[in-house]
Amino acid sequence: MGMTRDDIASIAHLARIGLSDEELERAEKDLEGILRYVDRLQKVETSGVPEASASVAKAGTFRADEAHTCSEAERDLILKNFPARDGDLLKAPAVFERPKR
Amino acid sequence: MLDEIRTLGIAGASELLKNGELSSRELTDAYLKEIDSRNPALNAFLDVWHDDARRQANDADERRTRGESLGVLDGIPIAIKDNMLVQGKRCTAGSKILENYIAVNHATVIKKLNGTGAVYLGKTNMDEFAMGSSTENSAFGSVRHPRDPDRVPGGSSGGSAVAVAADLCAAALGSDTGGSIRQPAAFCGIVGFKPTYGRISRSGLIAMASSFDQIGPMTKSVEDAATLFSVMYGKDSLDQTTADAEPFVPAWRSGLKGVKVGLPVQAWGEGIDKDVRSSVESAVKTLSDLGADIVDVDLPYSNEALAVYYIVMPCEVSANLSRFDGIRYGRREPAPTLLETYLHSRGEGIGPEPRRRILLGTYALSHGYYDAYYRKAKKVQTLIQNAYASALERVDVLVTPTAPTKAFRIGEKVNDPLSMYLEDLFTVGANVAGLPAISVPCGASEGLPVGMHLVGRAFDEASLLAVARAYEEARGNG
Repeated sequence: MGMTRDDIASIAHLARIGLSDEELERAEKDLEGILRYVDRLQKVETSGVPEASASVAKAGTFRADEAHTCSEAERDLILKNFPARDGDLLKAPAVFERPKR
Repeated sequence: MLDEIRTLGIAGASELLKNGELSSRELTDAYLKEIDSRNPALNAFLDVWHDDARRQANDADERRTRGESLGVLDGIPIAIKDNMLVQGKRCTAGSKILENYIAVNHATVIKKLNGTGAVYLGKTNMDEFAMGSSTENSAFGSVRHPRDPDRVPGGSSGGSAVAVAADLCAAALGSDTGGSIRQPAAFCGIVGFKPTYGRISRSGLIAMASSFDQIGPMTKSVEDAATLFSVMYGKDSLDQTTADAEPFVPAWRSGLKGVKVGLPVQAWGEGIDKDVRSSVESAVKTLSDLGADIVDVDLPYSNEALAVYYIVMPCEVSANLSRFDGIRYGRREPAPTLLETYLHSRGEGIGPEPRRRILLGTYALSHGYYDAYYRKAKKVQTLIQNAYASALERVDVLVTPTAPTKAFRIGEKVNDPLSMYLEDLFTVGANVAGLPAISVPCGASEGLPVGMHLVGRAFDEASLLAVARAYEEARGNG
């Protein structure tokens, strides 16, 4: 299964990663080698084999669906980490863009 | 004296603290002084917390004077890989996108260690988001091997491995997704232990591949690894994959009579550096001299484990790293639209190796490829888990080299991702099968250490560590 330059550009867009032409070219070469390596799995007979569960841990417990509060110190740190803020509000670029005139 | 106390590790230093021959402040100052002098060249630490460490050390000394010592770790200076959150401190995971991120809360392991009185010297350098086998992928520069500055220390926990090997701390924490504790431990000549998946809470560990990630100790001895493990493991309501498993009770033994050691035939084939092979073979001979039965075992799908890993891991990476979007925290590249903000913040903030894995994972999970890649890999993962379970019914531990090579030169593999990935060949199986595994030093050639890798049964860390320690003592005495 090969991957074309267009495939990579479209995947990079889906993953929201901006790549230059040079980086796209490099990614094409790197990913081709890795995909060729992992393709060895196609030769393994897996009919009737279930998919692995998350882990060998005896896990799968659920916590109660309730809100957890945080301390004032944690709240301050959360606000401090905002890349842009207006008072205690997070500033972010608009989701909907105004049509260009 | 100061040089000597830095080499002691947890057990040795703790003994001196207990006898009043040494104070935590003296020990902490000795490490800080050495870090200040050697870290500019080694680049093992990203942040050093001089004032906090001295304050914690003073507190530990005062507790001891009052007769209220918290135990073996009280006053012991340790280092923390920079992907574990310490509240109020910077946590970068080796990435530009988190260069100025301040941790909001403590990781569960830090909360647990806070109760032991351990002193935190600072945060160690790592491959960006723990992706790499050489610590060359850090956005903050490569870490240097303590015995040869032109070589890598391994990775991704290279900073922690160097901090321990160069006597810059008594012990360190690492994280291991495909070998990131064990391979740098082998390269640097220290002990690196990855517990069973589900033993130690991942809460507050910056996630790489959640179904494989596991925190573990990097230490000067197996006993020290057991000491740190015993305070860090346990079920945690903040990580629903933590297991309610049997308690860890060390079961040290001197001889290995009755222990069956399996050598997986598939692993001992081609592709192992000859010095690595001969060091590990002589370690196996020592296990046999200790009374262990050495047998060849069939471990089918050994060669498929790395391929499974390089599908499942990038899939989880692509999901886990989607949170780094420059909106709520981390680096934001201002741009006119939301889309461009994402593209630039992620494109410039996230380095080449994580980007490569995000692309690979996004591709493998995309419509039309999911069955061929992800679903197929998860099925082969079942076969691998079964193969390990069946081999470990016949033997108690599986032994291989930790890595196929010794520490390689800086730049040697950096442009060839596949050859870098092959570094994980022997370690990755334990992550894919979720089993506990340890690397112990087993010699050196041309001054470069070699590690022996042992894999044990799920949640039976006590038996695994007992074999590792018996070997370590026999080698130390021999």
